[in-house]
Amino acid sequence: MKLFKVAALGSVAVVALAGCGLGSGGSSANSSKVQQSVDSSAKLSGTINFQTWALKNDKFTPYFTKLIADFEKQHPGTKVNWVDQPGDGYADKVSSQISSNSLPDVVNLPPDIAFAGVKSGALLNLAKSDPKINQTYVKSGLADYTYKGVDGTYAYPWYLGTDVSYWNTDILKKAGLDTRNLPTTFDGLVAAAKKVHDATGGKQYLMSRKPNLYDIMATGAPIMNSDGTKFTFNTDAAAALISKYADAYKSGYMPREVLSSDYQGNDALFKKQQVGWTTSTGYYITSLKTDAPTLAPKVIGSPAIDVAPLYSQGISVSAKSKRPALALAFAQFVTNNANQTAFVDVAKGFLPGTQAAQSDPQFTKSDGTPAGDAAVLGARALPKAKSLGAPQWDQQDSDYLDQQIALAMTGKQTPKQALDNAVNKANSLLSK
Amino acid sequence: MVRTHRWFTPWIMVLPALVILCVFALWPAVNTFFLSFTDVRTLSGGKIVGLANYRQLLDDPQLRSALLNTVVYVVVCVPLLTFLPLLIAILAEKPLRGLAIFRTIFYFPVIASAVAVAVIWKFLLDDRGLINGWAQHAGIIQDAVPFLSGRWLLLFSAISLTVWKGLGYYMVLYLSALGNVDPQLHEAAAVDGAGPIRRFWSVTVPGVRRTMVLVAILVMVSAMRIFTELYILGGKTGGVGGQDVSVVFLIQSSAAGADGRLGYASALSVLLFLITLPPMALLARFNRKVDE
Repeated sequence: MKLFKVAALGSVAVVALAGCGLGSGGSSANSSKVQQSVDSSAKLSGTINFQTWALKNDKFTPYFTKLIADFEKQHPGTKVNWVDQPGDGYADKVSSQISSNSLPDVVNLPPDIAFAGVKSGALLNLAKSDPKINQTYVKSGLADYTYKGVDGTYAYPWYLGTDVSYWNTDILKKAGLDTRNLPTTFDGLVAAAKKVHDATGGKQYLMSRKPNLYDIMATGAPIMNSDGTKFTFNTDAAAALISKYADAYKSGYMPREVLSSDYQGNDALFKKQQVGWTTSTGYYITSLKTDAPTLAPKVIGSPAIDVAPLYSQGISVSAKSKRPALALAFAQFVTNNANQTAFVDVAKGFLPGTQAAQSDPQFTKSDGTPAGDAAVLGARALPKAKSLGAPQWDQQDSDYLDQQIALAMTGKQTPKQALDNAVNKANSLLSK
Repeated sequence: MVRTHRWFTPWIMVLPALVILCVFALWPAVNTFFLSFTDVRTLSGGKIVGLANYRQLLDDPQLRSALLNTVVYVVVCVPLLTFLPLLIAILAEKPLRGLAIFRTIFYFPVIASAVAVAVIWKFLLDDRGLINGWAQHAGIIQDAVPFLSGRWLLLFSAISLTVWKGLGYYMVLYLSALGNVDPQLHEAAAVDGAGPIRRFWSVTVPGVRRTMVLVAILVMVSAMRIFTELYILGGKTGGVGGQDVSVVFLIQSSAAGADGRLGYASALSVLLFLITLPPMALLARFNRKVDE
């Protein structure tokens, strides 16, 4: 087994060096001593590493600098080294850290990457070391780090996000659409898209996205079977949804770019005012004031179409940390209510993953502006927002589904074939 | 007298290069070959699965697309990048004032980052990009040309980018080769009444034939390993429905992520190695002939 892992590590190196081969190096993730639980009353001392994901920048650096300084001040004799990884390739980076036993003591992970770490025994079961975890953090956030067939919880919910719908009122008015009565269902969205198409002679659009797995989940399709061993979302209802998208595309209600572009393509078109609807966090209008100042005053928010998706970020502790008590204490410190509230004060549009924050009026009271209304819409949607609940679904699966849906939308295959292909491929990619 | 040259002296000289070669080329290659017979994932050990990955290659419809795209890439790129840089080199070779600026302009794409260049091309070729916008404004076309979403148009857009970016590099190779063509041959041919085209085919081409073969083989190998242009122009899904992927694209997508299939990606790497072997063997044979 170890031989295979050494060989696997070799592969990563060749990918990096040659661009087309495979390689890497390091020892087994399971080979060194794994901490099963931590004595949280142990004396805190020494140095730990803390890793965030794309958060070292002008906006967030002051927050983390202060956070670490506060912790070190509260616990003399401790030191926290903060490292940040770039946005792209984070799963690959964490994988190589796990393979080479160099995963930082405290690490920011989304549920799918954390799941890969859990499978290889790299993360600490926090539920075992922290009996108050269920009373401190929100259920939906904890659920994202609790995996079928695996005992325990593997991250503290840190910041949670969901989608709010955003509309360009100029485009809506051109199509004679009522800005006080915005679409709340997909069928309503398509009907509005037709009006925009007809009113602008096909020069402007309302929609510019393909459906993804969250949309399929909103049809009621079960993403996986009950024991999490097979994907099962190739239902007739899901196929009907893709058919509707395909019809809308063929009718010219969406630009051609939707076939090959991702969310960022949709966002770019919205900012260029070529598309009238997009989705983002509750902070979007405020960010538009800087990114697209002429557009920002024209934008209003409304609840997400059909079902709001839940996006989670968590703070995990390495099972192989040499200072587990310190790592656990720091993870709890980062995710306590005061620090999470201070964090989302910088990361606008997100909500803390603590129970105490859910009733905090600062997240549920609007200042009366469209930006304030949107932030409240996001906060109110969070309790009902749904996550996929399938951490096995990874980027490779997502890209393949995207490809299959694009082929269905261009008529090269039926929606059912697209879903069957995606399910078969995803099942074949599941780790045996 | 102290003997400074022992039997092992040459080995000491080549040792650093040998170590680098073994660690960064030989071992990963052997390792990749070994992995191709396993089902190893990024974070989990695996077992030997024999030829299962290779059997899976045969059933992979995306691989068939990738191989077709690779063949098209090679067939279009090789002649274009063998002859166009030669023609430009002939023009750039003339001792005219200000020609250095043109040489620099032609060479500029070579030193520019492939990603930066591809992003600029994406802006140009987009449905609402400069080219479509200008053509629509001028009344040449009504609907935008789907440079980035048409199955073949995207491939040819990527090929155009590869050719544009490669022109300068191969031009430099030709400039050096043209310097070795005896000018008296051109003068003699001119005296015999040969025009510029005849002189090109009868004097220039035979004079740079070795460089042309070298360029053709280099282009062939790099066309088989194409990735960046397709990834940037076609997005991470490889164009609409993944129809414009290349073999390297598939290797990248198979091995990426926390649950990447290193075994399958290794089998793809071995396949890529096998298909690049004939042109590489040709190059080795050609180099040997030149040496002789």
